[in-house]
Amino acid sequence: MDSRKNRKIKALAFCVLVLLGVVLLIYGAFFHSTIVSAQRQGEATVLAKSEPNLIKEVSVGGVTRDDSGKIKQTYEVGEEAPKACPT
Amino acid sequence: MVAMVKKTTLGRFSSRLLGWRMWIQTAFLLLWLDPLGWRMHTMCSPVFHCYACPLATFACPIGIIAQFSALHIFPFVAIGLLVALGAVFGSLVCGWVCPFGYLQDLAAKVPTPKFDLPKFTGHFRYVMLIGTVLAIPYFFGEGHPLFVCRICPAGALEAAVPTMVSQASAGEKVVWPNALKLTILIVFLIAIFFIKRPWCRVLCPLGAIFSLFNRVSAFFLRLDSEACTQCEQCHTLCEYGIEPEKTPNDLRCIRCLECTRCSPDALTLGSVFEPSRTNAQPSAD
Repeated sequence: MDSRKNRKIKALAFCVLVLLGVVLLIYGAFFHSTIVSAQRQGEATVLAKSEPNLIKEVSVGGVTRDDSGKIKQTYEVGEEAPKACPT
Repeated sequence: MVAMVKKTTLGRFSSRLLGWRMWIQTAFLLLWLDPLGWRMHTMCSPVFHCYACPLATFACPIGIIAQFSALHIFPFVAIGLLVALGAVFGSLVCGWVCPFGYLQDLAAKVPTPKFDLPKFTGHFRYVMLIGTVLAIPYFFGEGHPLFVCRICPAGALEAAVPTMVSQASAGEKVVWPNALKLTILIVFLIAIFFIKRPWCRVLCPLGAIFSLFNRVSAFFLRLDSEACTQCEQCHTLCEYGIEPEKTPNDLRCIRCLECTRCSPDALTLGSVFEPSRTNAQPSAD
């Protein structure tokens, strides 16, 4: 009896976790974006970067957080992104 | 005389698969090493493989979580992927899919004396996860010397070393990694020949995340307490100092499934969706 109850609890926990994971994944991949400050020919501008885009940017040090808490692109719009990870 | 217990379909399948573990790890290694030049760094993989490696198909989830922590942004993609896969497989990812674990498995085949680690060292993984992946990046940014990527031996081995070699071969100035990273890499390269999977067992933050799912994941180690003869054969089969008949879904388990080779067949791979045998204890731990 206990074993069957345990199994049911595990199955429920599994379903909840998978659902949570898939929802987070879909939200991040398709709906989540972040406002990033950038420079375009010396002038300040803002860009909305999707999370997949941001994943690529952080992996090469393309964005950083400044002291004021703003997320900033480390290179100018139109320029090539850095090629290597800064660490 | 021990009665042999009838295995479930999944148990029989996993027993057959066990002999192929190294080949399965090799096949996944090819997937992570970007053989087709996809360079899909907009997506995370579920394994420990540095995105700065010239041969990396996907981004490293730990690097992404740490970088997002430094930016104060919640990493929905990385966390979602790890939660979904952790809920299904738990630490099976570590034992069967991870290329960094595979490297350590290969090094462990060198016939050198092997040393075991005290049990408490497994908790350092959570310190590493909370400290270098979440807290330090969040409070001090990615420039801090203890930011996970700055001390990661996978990054040093897979990214810094190839970069240094290419710089040297092109006649450019060689940029060395920092002293701490280099020291950790050297210690790691020595340790893998004398301790089985030292990184996975002591410091891997990704393994720490997957281990949290071991007790609730869809696939788990099932102990049949009536079939178990307390022969402790599983203690010998387990290379990671776990006592599988006491805690089959131990947090330190990487689910290599070697313990399922025990002759009374008391340990098998089970799933939450298959009918349990009458004596089986799916969550005995």
